[in-house]
Amino acid sequence: MSDELERQRREIHSVLQQPGVRPDDSVQITRRTFVHRSLLFGAATVGQTFAWWPLLNTIDIAHAAEAPFKFAWISDTHLYEKSLNTRFVEKVVRAAKDVQAMDPPADFLIFGGDLAQLGKIEELELGNEILKEIKIPKHFIPGEHDWYLDMGKKWGELFGKPTWTFDHKGVRFVGLDTVSRGPDYWTAKKMTPEERMGHMATLDGTVAGPWAGVGRDQLDWLQNKLADWDKSKPIVIFTHNPLYEYYPPWNFWVRDWRDVHEVLKPYTKVTNIHGHVHQVLYNEIGTTRSIGMLATSWPWPYAPEGVPKLTKPMIRVDPGDHFDGVGWEKIAVNPGNQVAKDDVEYVMWGRKEVFIQSESDYGGNTPEILRARIADNMYPY
Amino acid sequence: MTTKSTFLLILRRSCVVGAIVGAAVLFGPASAHKDPVTPEQLKAYQDAFMEEVRKGDLLFHGDGATAKKMGVNLSNTGMACAMCHPMAADTHPHSFPKWQVQVDKFSTLRDMINWCIEKPNEGEKIESDSDAMKALEAYIYWSNTGSVLVPGRY
Repeated sequence: MSDELERQRREIHSVLQQPGVRPDDSVQITRRTFVHRSLLFGAATVGQTFAWWPLLNTIDIAHAAEAPFKFAWISDTHLYEKSLNTRFVEKVVRAAKDVQAMDPPADFLIFGGDLAQLGKIEELELGNEILKEIKIPKHFIPGEHDWYLDMGKKWGELFGKPTWTFDHKGVRFVGLDTVSRGPDYWTAKKMTPEERMGHMATLDGTVAGPWAGVGRDQLDWLQNKLADWDKSKPIVIFTHNPLYEYYPPWNFWVRDWRDVHEVLKPYTKVTNIHGHVHQVLYNEIGTTRSIGMLATSWPWPYAPEGVPKLTKPMIRVDPGDHFDGVGWEKIAVNPGNQVAKDDVEYVMWGRKEVFIQSESDYGGNTPEILRARIADNMYPY
Repeated sequence: MTTKSTFLLILRRSCVVGAIVGAAVLFGPASAHKDPVTPEQLKAYQDAFMEEVRKGDLLFHGDGATAKKMGVNLSNTGMACAMCHPMAADTHPHSFPKWQVQVDKFSTLRDMINWCIEKPNEGEKIESDSDAMKALEAYIYWSNTGSVLVPGRY
């Protein structure tokens, strides 16, 4: 990272993260999730480092929903047509069965985007069909893979508006669209819809640029929708992309994340749950906490820089096992002072331990310095 | 053997080696490193390398036309290398050779590339010294320029 970028980040952090300001615990975080990564690797020995874990458990505090309930999250299924790839289909089928089998049942399911891989009608319909197995109410937000073939036409037909809000047992839930406001990189180049989608579907592509954003119109909408909500009551915001700057070269951010936090600043119990990153993540900015979710399709490595210090990394996975490193989530929302054991439960198929147990379990244990790709550059950068 | 005879032996051998070197300089290939490298030559060497990087980048990102041109089929699942390894992340070329758990043997980067082609991608293994392998290797190493060698690292 350049010194200038590092300086800017420090400056932004000092403005957004005032001393003593932390999110209230509107959705509880287990001690397994909430472990300071810098503590993990900052201490002299692994033994000493891991001795900190039980202490951090004291940070868990309950919040105040009216009644306890759970909801489920599935995202990033990246379905191809069945004739090309059955592996991803099998995993969505499994996740759908798992969610449907929850006992007691979840109150609702959030689908966090990237149902399709290339935005094709067949892919979106296949996903919609599989998810019909889940009978509880379902709420959908889009991912970029769902959108850029037909600019959200089919997705809208199947799932309605990409931006929505509802209240449930004392919590205000909001779904935001962070994908559809990408700057136009296709018209001037006379791209076909398939070419446009191809660039968008390449995580490390250089052509689609900083496409992830909330947009002024949606920010105004959000401000308006929260205006009548008590500042101390819990809010949970679902987005495809994280609402902070993690790693812009892979669009692990929204470009207007600072504006989002300006809107959320007055509210003390905000939780953002997001997909897109295909990995376990945890971060806090001001009074907002962000939690990253697994994909069902495939896991992504942690970015070479910018992993939030508050993230306890997930275990490095076996690329030979299609069911490793992927899965879905159960999220518990609990009332009053009751402390739940597992509030965000990562269901990673085939793994008892989702989180690293030693430094060797961590993919980032082998440091790497990476360069952006060149072959899709349309002009010299 | 006396000190004198040892000295004479060394002297004789030195003369023979010196004669061979002298002959090589006088009668060897006229172009053998006689001139300093020119900027044009440097550019040609660099261009040759970057062309391999470019081809490797395209193969790594699942470009069908490049794969066809090079006569390889790296995937039958729709998956491309870059889908799990954006910017060649987590390929760790600087950690090879090493014991590779998935391959279950002491492996080179080329062994691991072929494992990824055959297993997750369900494609067709490529020759270890093929043009496609060299291009993939060029791209992966180039992407990791600056990564520090840690051979053998798990």
